[in-house]
Amino acid sequence: MIHQYKNNGYDIIMDVNSGAVHVVDDVVYDAVALLSKAMPELEEPGDIPGELEAQVRDSLSGTYDPREIEDALEDIQELINREELFAKDVYHDYVVDFKKRKTVVKALCLHIAHDCNLACRYCFAEEGEYHGRRALMSFEVGRKALDFLIANSGSRRNLEVDFFGGEPLMNWEVVKQLVEYGRSQEESHGKRFRFTLTTNGVLLNDEVMEFCNREMSNVVLSLDGRKEVNDRMRPFRKGAGSYDLIVPKFQKFAESRNQTNYYVRGTFTRNNLDFSKDVLHFADLGFKQMSIEPVVASPDELYAIREEDLPQILEEYDKLAVEYIKRQKEGRGFNFFHFMIDLNQGPCVAKRLSGCGSGTEYLAVTPWGDLYPCHQFVGQEGFLLGNVDEGITNEKVREEFKLCNVYAKEKCRDCFARFYCSGGCAANSYHFHGSITDAYDIGCEMQKKRIECSIMIKAALAE
Amino acid sequence: MKKVKTLSNNTLKNTMKNGGCGECQTSCQSACKTSCTVGNQSCENSGR
Repeated sequence: MIHQYKNNGYDIIMDVNSGAVHVVDDVVYDAVALLSKAMPELEEPGDIPGELEAQVRDSLSGTYDPREIEDALEDIQELINREELFAKDVYHDYVVDFKKRKTVVKALCLHIAHDCNLACRYCFAEEGEYHGRRALMSFEVGRKALDFLIANSGSRRNLEVDFFGGEPLMNWEVVKQLVEYGRSQEESHGKRFRFTLTTNGVLLNDEVMEFCNREMSNVVLSLDGRKEVNDRMRPFRKGAGSYDLIVPKFQKFAESRNQTNYYVRGTFTRNNLDFSKDVLHFADLGFKQMSIEPVVASPDELYAIREEDLPQILEEYDKLAVEYIKRQKEGRGFNFFHFMIDLNQGPCVAKRLSGCGSGTEYLAVTPWGDLYPCHQFVGQEGFLLGNVDEGITNEKVREEFKLCNVYAKEKCRDCFARFYCSGGCAANSYHFHGSITDAYDIGCEMQKKRIECSIMIKAALAE
Repeated sequence: MKKVKTLSNNTLKNTMKNGGCGECQTSCQSACKTSCTVGNQSCENSGR
């Protein structure tokens, strides 16, 4: 499968099945476009059929010099010989077998507090309560969760635990106790915990920062960008904005972590479709690691992103990519999560095609110890998987998630992005279509654009 | 090659041999939480 596009003056060809990515000139670009209409996908290298070469010569002779066309055909043949063009998708059986393997759990999202001191308007957790009651996780429940993780992690050494909420700093003492408990278990079980914390910053102080800098491999700091944008969607319960209180603390925190191993993370909505300004606002505040994600909301919410917003959103990503390159080249670059892409040592194909791991290797734990496939399913009783005392008891739902991979999704089969998004978010798919093997279409369009921009950025920075 | 600059070689097929160790980060533990972004993560299997 070939995906080719032009962006910011670069002609880019992705050979989707091999993972190869090429920057080419216009002649190769046009020749590949012609060939890809008729070329079969190749399991082994082979020659371009003579009649197809003739068609390319014929079609392009009015536009390009014959020598240029011959050079292009030579280069294309070389790429085919290297299995970097027109490669066949040979992964289907491999990934289906891979997903059938015994499941281990390697990551937990601990809902340490179903309570929050902000009242963000778009919160999928409904001010932290997740369609349920306010609650804080006890140390006992958390300890059982860590024990469950260790016991079900097989031979995995790296275990991940995210302290999430609600707002986890509202239950800070338990967070500290659980980190201490986790560390005490590492050596005897041959495991290494990677703790992370997602916080809105309201209760952030020096003691929290010092502890996190010692113990947390990553922290996610929630902020939406410009003051007016942030304060509109992230107010306190009585309506006051949170920006002024939080920004100086986040700046200090980021500096204290040497501008690494953290993300300032925001959400953009229909209210700020010009979100590239919010990303740049983060950069102007001195942050170096950032992410801004599209809101996922019911279509009847006024702030929900609509299909008609897509042209503007896609243009925003293009604009942001151009500025991103400019700042990188000027030595004042920053890292935008959705423009990160590892073209050479990225994930293996098993990971790329088997999905995010929700419901299998990644689970969410509620304050009272219930297990759900991920944080976005918490509170939806049909997805209750079990609890930290009895483990997974709902085998039907687990099996459904286990068999969820890119090939199980009709919409992903012919999509060039499938090796990068891994089939997309199961929760988004479920919320929009009632099935975890569908895809959230608006999200897909944005994801595809972000991948195109990421690769274009690589091309620009490789010059 | 005169007209092609390759940014990434054929790597996916090779990862079938030694891939799938599962030691890498889970995507939603990084920063996303509402999307699925796998392609931007790094492999942690040095023997791949």
